[in-house]
Amino acid sequence: MKGLILAGGRGTRLRPITHTGPKQLVPVANKPVIEYAIEDLREAGITDIGLVLGNKGRETIQETLGDGGSLDVDITYIIQGNPLGLSHAVGCARDFVDGDDFVVYLGDNILKQGIDELVDGFRERDVAAGIALQPVEHPEQFGVADVDESGMITRLVEKPDEPPSDLALIGIYVFSPAVFDVIEDLDPSWRGELEITDAIQSLLEYGHDIDSHVVEGWWKDTGKPEDILEANRLVLDDQTSSTDGTVEVGAEIRGDVDLDESSVIRNGAVVRGPASIGPDSEIGPGTYVGPYTSVGSETTIHGAHLENSVIIGNAEISTDEKIIDSLIGRGVAIGSADGLLPDGHRLVIGEHSDVKL
Amino acid sequence: MKIFTLTCDRCGTIVAANELEQRRVMKCPGLNCQSVLQFEDLAADEREHFFENRNEYSI
Repeated sequence: MKGLILAGGRGTRLRPITHTGPKQLVPVANKPVIEYAIEDLREAGITDIGLVLGNKGRETIQETLGDGGSLDVDITYIIQGNPLGLSHAVGCARDFVDGDDFVVYLGDNILKQGIDELVDGFRERDVAAGIALQPVEHPEQFGVADVDESGMITRLVEKPDEPPSDLALIGIYVFSPAVFDVIEDLDPSWRGELEITDAIQSLLEYGHDIDSHVVEGWWKDTGKPEDILEANRLVLDDQTSSTDGTVEVGAEIRGDVDLDESSVIRNGAVVRGPASIGPDSEIGPGTYVGPYTSVGSETTIHGAHLENSVIIGNAEISTDEKIIDSLIGRGVAIGSADGLLPDGHRLVIGEHSDVKL
Repeated sequence: MKIFTLTCDRCGTIVAANELEQRRVMKCPGLNCQSVLQFEDLAADEREHFFENRNEYSI
């Protein structure tokens, strides 16, 4: 079995962060979100992975992941170019898949419990596809599956006014190569894309069986800033911490704090976990790093109070203000305006930024 | 919709026909690969189908 990670898309809901990089590389608990998908595939025994790239950030993704060797997988890059839909992305992988069964995993999704059960279920039953589902509060906002008593899918409905169930498609699928034939027969939807739900519906209409698997534990699509914070919170809650860095006398650590060996928590700083502090970073005197915060690499913080936030990296924060529920991009400097006249905030903010003062 | 791709002989990167057609002649998008890929490298019947259904392959 092979794996296919879809890493196209423009990441518009994550602007301005995605002005300078692809959304799949935004870190959650100091690890690019796409690495969670790669790890899930690897843990399911799938190491031959195709990575479908769009126009945005494709060089950066290749530079970051390389041939996959550092993650113990073998990556083949597939250039989709224009975002012509998920079925088009899958169709571009036909030569890579080469007649095998394969898992499709959206590159900005994170699952608590991995995909082992989905893959095992597909292998045990003679079906054309297996689809991961999860109960949601507002099924009318999702693609929803109607499932019979044996767990087989009977139909799919996209954002229905009257949902047949509360089981939403979460963006992880297992397909047999039969899907490529139905993709060939698809027409673009009203928005000009080849939809994955249309491909699955076509499989049903051609008489193929499609299995479902209800995912236990949390699942997050990290498409928006608040989703990144939520995913960061969920991952940190489950992390096994390793405080390898330097904790000076007079610094205080409470709870699970993952501290890289090259980083330091200075005398007078307080870090309360769960939290993660990446390489070459310094938590300076008077700083409070509160629960559910990830501080990326090469970041210096002096005097600030941080909670429930993600600092992507290469940042310098030297204010004594309280910063909460924030996603702070690479290379950002947040200083103090104390003593500057006239009194007031001083901002240099890029397009699509979101600031609350 | 038929989907056509070309695989770089040197690095194995797979490129969709719409990307090739947009650039006609391009350096392989595989990192550090110096191969040159062309829309003309696709089979004649694939190119013909692509042109006849060009609207489907653009946003």
